[in-house]
Amino acid sequence: MGQEFILLVSATVFCIGAFGFMVRKNPLIMFMSVELMLNSVNFLLIGYSNILKSLDGQIFALMIMAVAAAEVVVGLALILTIFRTRHDLNVDHLDSLKG
Amino acid sequence: MLIDLGWFSFDLFQITYDGVLLAVGGTAILAALGVVLCSSPIYSALYLIGHMICLAILFLMYGAEFIAAVQLIVYAGAVMILFLFIIALLGGKKESQSFDFHKFMALSFIGTVLAELALSARVGPTRPVTGIFDEKLIADVGNAKAIGLELYSKHLIPFELASCLLLVAGVGIICLSKFTYKPPQRRSN
Repeated sequence: MGQEFILLVSATVFCIGAFGFMVRKNPLIMFMSVELMLNSVNFLLIGYSNILKSLDGQIFALMIMAVAAAEVVVGLALILTIFRTRHDLNVDHLDSLKG
Repeated sequence: MLIDLGWFSFDLFQITYDGVLLAVGGTAILAALGVVLCSSPIYSALYLIGHMICLAILFLMYGAEFIAAVQLIVYAGAVMILFLFIIALLGGKKESQSFDFHKFMALSFIGTVLAELALSARVGPTRPVTGIFDEKLIADVGNAKAIGLELYSKHLIPFELASCLLLVAGVGIICLSKFTYKPPQRRSN
């Protein structure tokens, strides 16, 4: 149970998140899938920081958490604003800019 | 704790550690599948909370106590509560799911990416990067203090930039929620 476990778990979770982002139509669930991807990268960084005996991975994970928090807050505000004007939560219907 | 049966000996602590690691990792993957496959957003959010808690346990087992605590407080606490508030505000409508060509394409693409990533698990030991902190020193001063020392000395500029990012996000939210969007008036001719 060395680095193979870390690599396989984080790759699987990352791919599940990417699949959810491509397939789901609800923007909230798309955001949750982005969270899954960010978390899998966090797990990879922390596992490798344990293997390599260096703290840089944990600092990186902390920075990723800060970026993810900012991203979630702005994204949810955007979703809320879109919902207030359109009363619809399907990303396929947001095609006003389509030529 | 080494248990020796004569013809077969094993380390009980190591086997327990590996078993817990496998169980929690498997639960994390299953919870991630639940997030993606549930049709109702409220169940997805609950599965995501479970996934975060599993990841926090994994962080603890890899010796990152401070990050585990931050994961629980920031992610499983603050961010997910925000998600649940928004779901309650917007009304979690169920989404009808059907398997069509689009999903098949996404599945095949993701399968390819996953196979490529799984190949990367076959790389041998990489060149070790030696940090300032080794295991003994971290056990000496504690994980949170070691992270603080590293963060405020070597990584000070990224830390300040992250605080700027959070400030910009706050200002952006105020702009988004204060100035409401008015649809443009159609010109009458």
